[in-house]
Amino acid sequence: MAISVDPPQVSRDLCRKAGYTFTVLSDPNAEVIRRYHLLHAGGGPDGHDIARPAEFLVDSSGMVRWVNFTEDVRVRARAAEMLAAAKGLR
Amino acid sequence: MPDASNNRENWAVWVGSLLALVAVMCNVVFFVNLPGLWAIAWLSMLLSVVALIFLGLGLKHAFGRPVVYRRKILSSVLSLVSLLLVGVAIFASFSARAMPTSAGAPQIGQRVPDFTLADTNDQPVSLAQLLAQAGKDSKVTPAKSVLLIFYRGYW
Repeated sequence: MAISVDPPQVSRDLCRKAGYTFTVLSDPNAEVIRRYHLLHAGGGPDGHDIARPAEFLVDSSGMVRWVNFTEDVRVRARAAEMLAAAKGLR
Repeated sequence: MPDASNNRENWAVWVGSLLALVAVMCNVVFFVNLPGLWAIAWLSMLLSVVALIFLGLGLKHAFGRPVVYRRKILSSVLSLVSLLLVGVAIFASFSARAMPTSAGAPQIGQRVPDFTLADTNDQPVSLAQLLAQAGKDSKVTPAKSVLLIFYRGYW
């Protein structure tokens, strides 16, 4: 599942265009993003607060098992990498 | 008749320009989903620095020893354009890395805080709900985990 500050309508557009079927949640006031210490203040295209990219693999007990904090927004976690991490949990 | 020594090509400018162009073009690669993009990010930075060295050398040739090197105007114009390209490449590298370090974010072995947010249909969804689903549903591959992706947004 994915989280951003985008309102639900924007995320709906994204899912439709990209064909995503996973859960996409909206955190317009960046409350959860802040609680996770992932706020990038003023990082949005028009200077609003957004989330910095981060990926967590959480097991059913809620514990982080794999994590990725990129230091360069151009370099993101790859799907293959995340799937491999998830498969490693089993 | 110019003698042979007045005809030397200012190759440093050409090399510098080529490197500057490649440094900027590195950024196009990020739109393709490839492994090893870290190397490209560093390559772009390295090429920018080397391009600056060559452009400086080229300008020194063109103006320091104008009798030896020809095409002084072309050298200057090419260097100026290339300097702009290097500027773009360096700006792209720095702005891509201008991010908080998120030192307080959950780490491996820690439990993540629960939350409830609206999904694309404006329905509230909680992490606990998704985790409970992941624990039960053995048909989903891979089972028993939820991938939490925080992203910058869609623009």
